[in-house]
Amino acid sequence: MENREKTVIIKHLVKRFGDFTAVNDISFDVHKGEIFGFLGANGAGKTTAIRILCGLSKPTSGEGTVAGYNIRNQQEAIKKHIGYMSQKFSLYPDLKVWENIELFGGIYGLSDKQIAEKTTKMLKALSMEDARDMFVRDMPLGWKQKLAFSISMVHDPQIVFLDEPTGGVDPVTRRNFWKMIYQAASNGVTVFVTTHYMDEAEYCDRVSIMVDGVVEALGSPSQLKERYSANTMDEVFTKIAGRSIREE
Amino acid sequence: MWKYLLKKEFKQFLRDPGMPRMTLMFPFLIILVFPFAASMEVKNIKLAIVDNDNSLQSTLLTEKCASSGYFEICSNGNSPSQAQAMMDKGTIDAILTIDAGFAKFLEGSAPSSDDLPVGIKVNTVNGTRGSIGSQYLNACVSSYVMGIKSATGTSVGQIEIKETNLYNQFQDYKLFMIPALIVIAITMMCGFLPALNIVSEKEKGTIEQINVTPVSKFAFIACKMIPYVVVAYFMVFSCMLLARIAFGYGCAGSLLDISIFTLAHIIVMASFGLLVSNYSENAQQAMFIIWFFSMIFMLMSGIFTPIDSMPDWAKIITYANPLRYFADAMRGIILKGSTLADTWFDLTCLLGLGGLTTLWAVLSYHKTN
Repeated sequence: MENREKTVIIKHLVKRFGDFTAVNDISFDVHKGEIFGFLGANGAGKTTAIRILCGLSKPTSGEGTVAGYNIRNQQEAIKKHIGYMSQKFSLYPDLKVWENIELFGGIYGLSDKQIAEKTTKMLKALSMEDARDMFVRDMPLGWKQKLAFSISMVHDPQIVFLDEPTGGVDPVTRRNFWKMIYQAASNGVTVFVTTHYMDEAEYCDRVSIMVDGVVEALGSPSQLKERYSANTMDEVFTKIAGRSIREE
Repeated sequence: MWKYLLKKEFKQFLRDPGMPRMTLMFPFLIILVFPFAASMEVKNIKLAIVDNDNSLQSTLLTEKCASSGYFEICSNGNSPSQAQAMMDKGTIDAILTIDAGFAKFLEGSAPSSDDLPVGIKVNTVNGTRGSIGSQYLNACVSSYVMGIKSATGTSVGQIEIKETNLYNQFQDYKLFMIPALIVIAITMMCGFLPALNIVSEKEKGTIEQINVTPVSKFAFIACKMIPYVVVAYFMVFSCMLLARIAFGYGCAGSLLDISIFTLAHIIVMASFGLLVSNYSENAQQAMFIIWFFSMIFMLMSGIFTPIDSMPDWAKIITYANPLRYFADAMRGIILKGSTLADTWFDLTCLLGLGGLTTLWAVLSYHKTN
């Protein structure tokens, strides 16, 4: 693992809002093609950390690179090379499926021809050929999330950040969603994912668990289960997150 | 990138359930409805006549008042106390008392140093209606007296003042209000709607998706504004066309000057709207700020009430109001045919304000915080 290319490197990252320290000195690396699970209770600082990695927020202190660009001053360069899908569903509901694909393709600088090819390929892979002219607001949530994930990778980014991508989605769709994640990772895309479903944590290559702004545990699911003498990730999580003193 | 963002904005604009209809309705409201409602012209003043002279002359004067179109003769032949009682009850707005000796006065048999034996009383509970009513009544009486005197050749013994109304010859209030109403429409269209549009993207969370892409903030904002700029120009020119068709009003100045001022105003209002959206988290907040400022913008702009009659401290506030400059310039260009040489002060101030708000808006908009 150690000799593989690192796409995310974080050292001593801190983010303070006034006198509240949301992220308190976290450090970790993520490798190319890895599925990195970023867990933690609500309010543990996950979203803040992800926002910094995506260039949406500036760190108070600490160093780091994402896709080779500095998180302190090269945010716009980072944005060209990452995909992002947030827990809040963020496609345009009043645009049709193909129009959303076209918009984000265009934003990332794809040509009309590339966009047309991508659209066909993407809809085929999602089995959504018939939904091409559907308004996104009329789609079921599971479809929307799958579409949003595909669109976040329309420009073939090196890393894709998924912030609770499967929240509120039924189990079958969740499993399909994870198939898509595996597919992306096998193509060399680094997948950085947060989730509250511990069965999903089992699917990750490595998992970090944040408590009160600090990374309490980091390792592969099997390592963590062994270290905390637990049978499932759920038990591991309960043991670690139970130490939290921060109120939600 | 611009092409796709623009496509998105235009599609969203056209698919909005209200916007396209509102854009089409607005010019009709502005030209065909509002000018009649916003008119300060006073008509149908209820007049009681107390005729103590009972001469041919006094009857003719009464008829002159009745035929002027501004008065509605409610009672004639009452005693002064009866008329006063009617005014107290509020059923009449004005009393014209013609005293005995009116006919004699006109025939010149009375010494010309005597006062004209005519009295006017006006109900000024509504100040505007009262003062304008008394002016009309005065004008009616004096023009009648002048007419008789000059016909009989007797000297008037007064300096005759003849008014000439320039630019808006018939003092048509509609003609005066239309340029200002266009100003208000542009303000709503270009200042406030884009602000609400951006805030609604914040609420939906789509702005976050855009912020995480490499779209430059300038491109994003410019593409948001362009549809509204198109709409603003559509409104200005469709209103002017409609005013021409409906009332025959032309534009005395150049359309190019109007376009320049419109653009300057759009820049001010759009950046102001952006500023509002930068500081609001949700539509409710934005609406409240907009409502607050639109009250100030409209009432302190000289659109409804003349700035010259405001107290000094209020005049100072109007200097910070973009509507003041745009309304002044629009009225000047449309009514008087002012050119940029006459309106340079308005344009400079408008651009100055625009520069300030644009700078502030750009500095306070962050893709990364």
